Amino acid sequence: MPQNNTLIYSSSPHIRSKITTKKIMQDVCIALIPATIMGIVLFGLKALLLIFLSCFTAVASEIIFNLINKKTFIQCVKEFDYSSLVSGLLLGLTVGTNYPWYTVIFGSIFSIIVVKMLFGGTGKNLVNPAITGRIFIFISFQSVVGAWVLPNVNSIFTNNISTGATVIESLIKNGNKNLSSLDLLLGSRVPGCIGETCKLAIWAGAIYLAVKKIINITYPLIYIVVEGIFAVALKGFDFSYFLPSILSGGLIFGAFFMATDYTTSPDTKTANIIYFICLGLITAGLREATKMEATSFAILLMNLTVPLFDKFIINKPFGYQKQKKIKGGEKHE
Amino acid sequence: MNNEYKKIAVDGLITSNPTFKLVLGTCPTLALTTMAMNGIGMGLAVTFVLICSNLIISLLRNAIPNQVRIPAFVLIIATFVTIVRLVLDKLLPSLYESLGLYLPLIVVNCIILARAESFASKNTPLKSVCDGLFTGLGFTIALTLMGAVREILGSGSIFGLKLWNFSIAFFASSAGAFFTFAIFIALFSIISEQVEKKRKIAKYNLFDAQKKTEVI
Repeated sequence: MPQNNTLIYSSSPHIRSKITTKKIMQDVCIALIPATIMGIVLFGLKALLLIFLSCFTAVASEIIFNLINKKTFIQCVKEFDYSSLVSGLLLGLTVGTNYPWYTVIFGSIFSIIVVKMLFGGTGKNLVNPAITGRIFIFISFQSVVGAWVLPNVNSIFTNNISTGATVIESLIKNGNKNLSSLDLLLGSRVPGCIGETCKLAIWAGAIYLAVKKIINITYPLIYIVVEGIFAVALKGFDFSYFLPSILSGGLIFGAFFMATDYTTSPDTKTANIIYFICLGLITAGLREATKMEATSFAILLMNLTVPLFDKFIINKPFGYQKQKKIKGGEKHE
Repeated sequence: MNNEYKKIAVDGLITSNPTFKLVLGTCPTLALTTMAMNGIGMGLAVTFVLICSNLIISLLRNAIPNQVRIPAFVLIIATFVTIVRLVLDKLLPSLYESLGLYLPLIVVNCIILARAESFASKNTPLKSVCDGLFTGLGFTIALTLMGAVREILGSGSIFGLKLWNFSIAFFASSAGAFFTFAIFIALFSIISEQVEKKRKIAKYNLFDAQKKTEVI
């Protein structure tokens, strides 16, 4: 019943939900706050600098792109929907403090301009911008990242203080399990990327998102469990690998914040379940095959298959019946 | 007469640029443009082969039977590619090394076959040589531009001279090759579209002006 006794003319849709892209993205930002704070606590001011630079560049490059495309500044501010801020924040959280500050700027520009804006802006990107930006940095600046002397060390996840291989690397390579699961959960004494070391903070953010019904928490859980089981299977069913494999590397962070991105995950329930199972299998397989952390590559790979999922796994319309085959084909007059 | 040659030159360099407009010969374009010097070397080698093969094919265009024209073209092209290989091996061994496999592969380069098939086998020798020269130059310029951009960004140097210590290795990888190629094609079509638009407007204005004078 419209108030003030006015009749409202409008075409469909008549029922509008209050959930907008802007609100969802704001919630994702809030969910990332614990991980950000823990990252800064664990890695110091360098982490803060990297995160700030990455966020700032992401937002600035989106606005500049829009300005070049002949939008006014007020329009840009009105249309700003926090998605580039989320991408920037995710990118900042997935680099280590051993990266020089300018690498993040290039990664951020690449992820926003090339991956997002050139494909048509929010919701039109083929792959996750943050992950692509991270891989761009990983490919481009291997030579300037500290502690990368030996080419076969492959330790992106090294710390400034101790330049050893990350837990996941030592785990895959030598079956080294010297850190307890509690350490891994809290992120203390674990070299790694800024945002991914403290699993507890990530869990807090993920539970916030699940309570707000922004992500369906079953899908990332499927991903994590399948990855763990397949990793155990690849190691010859040694079940002591299960927890360390799940809790190390960027798996949990990727599963909750990157794989669940709306634009780069399938639409239907069945498709989503298959998608996340495949993600788990590919992640564990790639980790074992390449002997390095491969969550981001697995997610990028699966992102590219999403159009296929959307095309071939479709919900049946209500009341739909399969057409029976007519024997002998149709009769023509 | 003079106009025809002008049209051939503009066609080869810009309006049907083999790399950015026709997207022919992408294999060496993507693989060899990590350095600007490679681009020049490859481009000039192709230009030489193109001129010579165009000349011979256009001289023999009435002698080659239609049914076996492709093998005949390939044979002629292969002859010149062999000459280029031997000469480069003797005179510029470093360039020969860096071009590697892609030098013998000029035999099956689509640009040369396309020009032989669509131009040299139908036109006089002088025109064919002109076409070969300008198409080859178009290819050379395109490859050098791409090579320069990828060398500056990918290894921080140009023509082998070190500019600075900063580099984005992405542009030296094959993914960067595709990316640079796409960006160049996009820029090229934007610019040519704008030019075309301006030319059309100018043409119509001229047309209108003529009409007005006629009316008056």
